[in-house]
Amino acid sequence: MIDQYIETFKSFKIEIFQAFYETFDMLSIAMVFTLIIGLLLGFLLFITRLDGIHANRGIYLILSAFINIIRSIPFILFIIVIIPFNRWIIGTGFGVDASKIPLSLIGIATFARFTEQDLLDVDKNIYETSYSLGASTLQYCRYFLLKEARTGLILSFTSASISLLSYSTVMGIIGGGGLGYLAISEGYYNFNYDLMWIIIVIMIIIVQFFQTIGNMLAKKYDKR
Amino acid sequence: MIRLENVIKTFLINGEFSKVINDISLSINRKEIYGLVGETGSGKSTILRLMNGFIEPDSGEIYLMNKKLDETTKHDLVKDTSMIFQSFNLLGNLNVIDNVLLPTKLRKGNKKDNIKRARELLSFVGISSFEGSYIRNLSGGQKQRVAIARTLMTNPKIVFCDEPTSALDDKMSYEVLKLLRDINEEFETTMVVVSHDISVIKAICNRVAIIEKGEISDILSLKTKKIEALSYKEALLGD
Repeated sequence: MIDQYIETFKSFKIEIFQAFYETFDMLSIAMVFTLIIGLLLGFLLFITRLDGIHANRGIYLILSAFINIIRSIPFILFIIVIIPFNRWIIGTGFGVDASKIPLSLIGIATFARFTEQDLLDVDKNIYETSYSLGASTLQYCRYFLLKEARTGLILSFTSASISLLSYSTVMGIIGGGGLGYLAISEGYYNFNYDLMWIIIVIMIIIVQFFQTIGNMLAKKYDKR
Repeated sequence: MIRLENVIKTFLINGEFSKVINDISLSINRKEIYGLVGETGSGKSTILRLMNGFIEPDSGEIYLMNKKLDETTKHDLVKDTSMIFQSFNLLGNLNVIDNVLLPTKLRKGNKKDNIKRARELLSFVGISSFEGSYIRNLSGGQKQRVAIARTLMTNPKIVFCDEPTSALDDKMSYEVLKLLRDINEEFETTMVVVSHDISVIKAICNRVAIIEKGEISDILSLKTKKIEALSYKEALLGD
């Protein structure tokens, strides 16, 4: 039985590696945007909340609604409605590069909300401490909040990255390719269930890898 | 050094506006250890937070080092002050020396000089051997010593202490109080100490304001006595 899977793997080796590269390409770019912009928006949400240090109902509501809208549209429909936006940004609505845009947007929205929640878990007294030591708002975010929330943030980013891997499987709809698309188009629709299972196992291994790295980093940086 | 003139502060409590600080005026001299004593909820901690600008008064004026404290000046003025908290407020993800160095990251300065000073201060507060330890591994007294070293890192002219010994046992409390007294004498730092514990105030304060329902009911001058850390046996057998 194993031989059967090995044979299938050998015959689809090139397609699997190509799909793996496409997934890696989409995911890595989306993860970078997710980390940087998601983190910034999460901090902005946190400080502009009603009980935040720079409470601003307008900014918070707009940002919060933007995040909620992205997260509430079924992702497969979100990919379609965002096509004009893809065209506007990179000149084309289809392909691997165009796939990075909806993937980044859902990653940013998810991680921004996770970040806000992680920051809410930080001891409230930390702000008064930072004030009394003479910190500005930026210094408070960098030297106090980020330090104390880092374990939660690492685990949240790990979860967001795993979600992105899951979301990337439907990118075939706009020609994004990737492992998920290969499993569905060549595996499921062509009745090549062995190929489908091989890709499922590869996806499980990637998720295990992400989670293990995330857990290790979180443990390493948690000194509380 | 610190002057409050007709300060009023109101908070919204359970849907109703309540005057927490009611027309308080007081003056604290340089090098003085000034106590604010009163029951829980009397407003003494609010006065402390008004003094360092963390809370703005509804009316009245506050002067620190002869400069009026307001939105435009408070961030500069607060850099010449520091605060010691009841719950220490250390960063758990930083080790002892990084906690002490934290205020220097918020200011310009030479990194090597800062590390040298942090080590000197850790030695001064008596926890040099814990330099690389994380906060979770320290006792309450050791945590407060780290917080005190962090406070001194920027040579503050004024140190605000909010119930500095409430989370400590008697022996540790006396050691921390002695340390505060030593700081006052060695660095000529003005101190404002808030406590509900009369023995704490009596141990180190030169003057004390008694706060009742947001008002000063009395201001007394005290004769401070020698602070000695007693063992449980000595404390139990003593007067």
